[in-house]
Amino acid sequence: MKLRDIAIGANASIYLRMDFKKIKGVFYPRTEQEIIDAIATAHDGGYSVTPKGGGSGLSGACTGGNRERVMISTLRMREVLTVSKDQGYADVQPGATPDEINALIEPIRMKFWVAPSSRDIASAAGILSTDGGGNDTWVNGTMRDNTIRAKMVLYDGRRLTVDWNGVTSDDSELEAELNKKGMTISDVASAHGTLGFITELRVKIKPFPSEKLVGGLAKFEDCNAMGRALSELIKRKSPIRYGETVAAAHEDIREGLDLPLLTLEFPEDFASELKDILDYSDLDSEGLAKMKDVRIKLPKRNPNEGLQIALFEGFGYHGDNLLKMQDAIDEINSLLIGHGLALFARYGHAPSKWYLGDNSPAYGVILHSREIKPEDKTSREMFDTITDIVAKCNELGITPKPEHKWPFSDEEKKTRIKELREVMGTGFNDFILDPNGAYDTLSSLV
Amino acid sequence: MSYDRCVRCGSCIILCPVFDAIGEEQYSPRGRTYLLQVMDLIEEDKELGKEFRRLLFQCTFCGRCSEICASDVDLLKVWHEQRGKAVSEAPEEFGYLDALGKSLANMMNIYGLDPEDRAEFWLDELEDEIPGIADRVYEEGKTADTMVFLGCLMSFRASQMDVLRSLFLTLEKLDVDYLVMGAEEFCCGHPLHLMGDDDGATKLREHNKGVMESAKAKRVITCCPGCLIQISTNHNLKEDIEVLHHTQLFDRLLETIPKYKQEEEFSYHDPCELHRICNVKTEPRSLLNKMGVEFEEMDLSCCGGGGLLRMTDPDLSDEIIQIRAQKEKLGDRLVLTCCPSCREQFLGANLRTRDIVEILADALEGGEK
Ligand SMILES: Cc1cc2nc3c(=O)[nH]c(=O)nc-3n(C[C@H](O)[C@H](O)[C@H](O)COP(=O)(O)OP(=O)(O)OC[C@H]3O[C@@H](n4cnc5c(N)ncnc54)[C@H](O)[C@@H]3O)c2cc1C
Ligand code: SF4
Ligand code: SF4
Repeated sequence: MKLRDIAIGANASIYLRMDFKKIKGVFYPRTEQEIIDAIATAHDGGYSVTPKGGGSGLSGACTGGNRERVMISTLRMREVLTVSKDQGYADVQPGATPDEINALIEPIRMKFWVAPSSRDIASAAGILSTDGGGNDTWVNGTMRDNTIRAKMVLYDGRRLTVDWNGVTSDDSELEAELNKKGMTISDVASAHGTLGFITELRVKIKPFPSEKLVGGLAKFEDCNAMGRALSELIKRKSPIRYGETVAAAHEDIREGLDLPLLTLEFPEDFASELKDILDYSDLDSEGLAKMKDVRIKLPKRNPNEGLQIALFEGFGYHGDNLLKMQDAIDEINSLLIGHGLALFARYGHAPSKWYLGDNSPAYGVILHSREIKPEDKTSREMFDTITDIVAKCNELGITPKPEHKWPFSDEEKKTRIKELREVMGTGFNDFILDPNGAYDTLSSLV
Repeated sequence: MSYDRCVRCGSCIILCPVFDAIGEEQYSPRGRTYLLQVMDLIEEDKELGKEFRRLLFQCTFCGRCSEICASDVDLLKVWHEQRGKAVSEAPEEFGYLDALGKSLANMMNIYGLDPEDRAEFWLDELEDEIPGIADRVYEEGKTADTMVFLGCLMSFRASQMDVLRSLFLTLEKLDVDYLVMGAEEFCCGHPLHLMGDDDGATKLREHNKGVMESAKAKRVITCCPGCLIQISTNHNLKEDIEVLHHTQLFDRLLETIPKYKQEEEFSYHDPCELHRICNVKTEPRSLLNKMGVEFEEMDLSCCGGGGLLRMTDPDLSDEIIQIRAQKEKLGDRLVLTCCPSCREQFLGANLRTRDIVEILADALEGGEK
């Protein structure tokens, strides 16, 4: 074993303690051919393949679980290959990050409008595989909305290109069968690397809009009231360009704020319609910058004593549960408290957009959740809390980790992935689809 | 220890020059902190321990990782502590550092040359051009407001002679009351610090402190950012002694400067230790602006020469500078900087380079010679 077989496990999730002997090969290809060769090595040895981008995913999917596996990283494939300003696209290698893409195209006044906070390291293929997005998904959509096509390689070396119309491949039988199944980019989005290795993407790029924006701050009696207002904003397809809520915060970091609150940025001519929907006070540019700063710093703040943790990171409230958001928050809070966790902060994107396992869009609030790290809990106890949270989300119709994704309990998505794998073959991130669920594997990695 | 605070977000990966050159996770700051976090799982494998100790010395100490980290992991401190631990755990693996350690212990300079020669080479060269320079060399009993600490590179390397000449000419022109430490200058201890051996460095620093204080210096200046780190933070000088980089001193003394007659294109390289660790960012640029110099900012990245990398992995160090030269299309451009170590690195890659003080001396002379 070499250090490269260990360090490849580095990832942002809490799943980091691996049996490194099960990592049977580590590759950092530079070209599609090198990817094909690396996959062939895995194929010959009968090992699973785990594609890895920036390793910033928070669900442990890029760990490969506990299977004997070959890890293929795209950290050396981060180039922007072609840019067409006229046609509004850029062809990029799978490892290119939003920041790298934008650094190259901003001089021509174009932008790739997918902006997760991890945009300095998250890779284009990784973001598509989790269908990620930033706090502007309400305006700009998630990664799938910004992807035109993806090229992929399968476990047996076959190649295909997937776009919104279907699949093309040199292998006509594969092409026909996948098209019969109606495969599109939506299937690759959020597939967590279970379908194949993405080797290149064509992503949308767009110019910067020119509109005058103003700011507003709304306060609510509770999150039910905020949920109702958000529901109305969503119904009216309101042109909110920035929307963030701070729903709750520990007294050490509340700084006298009246919570819950909603900070909004919107076109000036929407102001009167917005007044009809909710009560807000104007924010000048300084006030708006201050509220944005309060929000952006929350994930980095700590209580006076102890450290904050993101045990489960995020909850997606949408549809009916948006109207009863406070009740749902209370239920989740009491679950956390019951497991011995102290609450620290609740904040997030509002309004926001994400996709459900059946590919229908959900509109609502992505509420991030932070707790105070307990001193006396075992990894097993922590993981049990996570499974209880997921069960509670399912019971309440809340999307677990809408932004960072929690593929393991998304039965609809998994069923579709399995259906496609019957044609495409298996071999990639198989642990996610383990018949016994990936939970045992994950709990061993905490 | 603070590597526990690393949330493995990955923000520090792409900007690490060592990762950039090699492209594998274990060379990235995140890869290294992760290795520390799971060390208990791999401890039994002796070969992995050895590989890790080697890895610790494949880092330029540029501080880009520390700077970007939003989780407050003091990575430079982690690397420093881990290097110290590595050398004390397995000294036999670091034989290649012995010669340097011995030179510093016996001769108080990195080259193992006679300490008396510190003010020998450059005095021979500059005495005719700068009359009275010999009197500027410190001896017991002499005092001055400003003490010039040259550092090992500037004292011994012929390649630094033009910088030295410009430094002294400028100090003379501005009527600064100064002395040079000369044979009484011991290495500032930076190389030992980079090996994690602060005990060894303390002896050198105590001597320097004694000289600076007995010369009644009100300020110490140096052209070397590595020396600047050590003198300002680890020499424990009296509070009323100010420690400055030469660009800081000259920027302060000169409100206006005659326009520099620029005949070619310049790129400016900000030395990592200066801007990231000593937080000196504005003065070099302010000086260039006052002289009307036009320059292109280079990436705020590392030249590959820091952290003892030139010694511990010269090939990697070369590769880092080659990659930069190519990426930033340095070609024929002249690279301005203000660090003797960065200059050595550029010269080694056949790039033309000058210290800001050379440009300043030319401007004060009334134009480029
Ligand atoms: C500090 C921080 C902030 C974050 N903020 C956001 C945010 O605002 N919005 C958001 O959506 N997410 C966010 N995330 C989560 C994370 O950045 C996203 O999930 C991101 O999309 C993961 O990209 P990656 O390249 O790091 O993928 P990885 O973590 O490496 O992998 C994620 C999944 O993609 C698969 N994969 C990677 N590359 C390929 C490939 N070439 N082919 C096939 N499958 C592949 C992997 O196997 C894995 O299943 C954040 C994470 C952190 C640490
Ligand atoms: S930036 Fe900080 S927290 Fe993130 S991976 Fe690097 S050291 Fe860890
Ligand atoms: S100090 Fe520089 S070279 Fe060393 S790990 Fe950090 S970024 Fe990389």
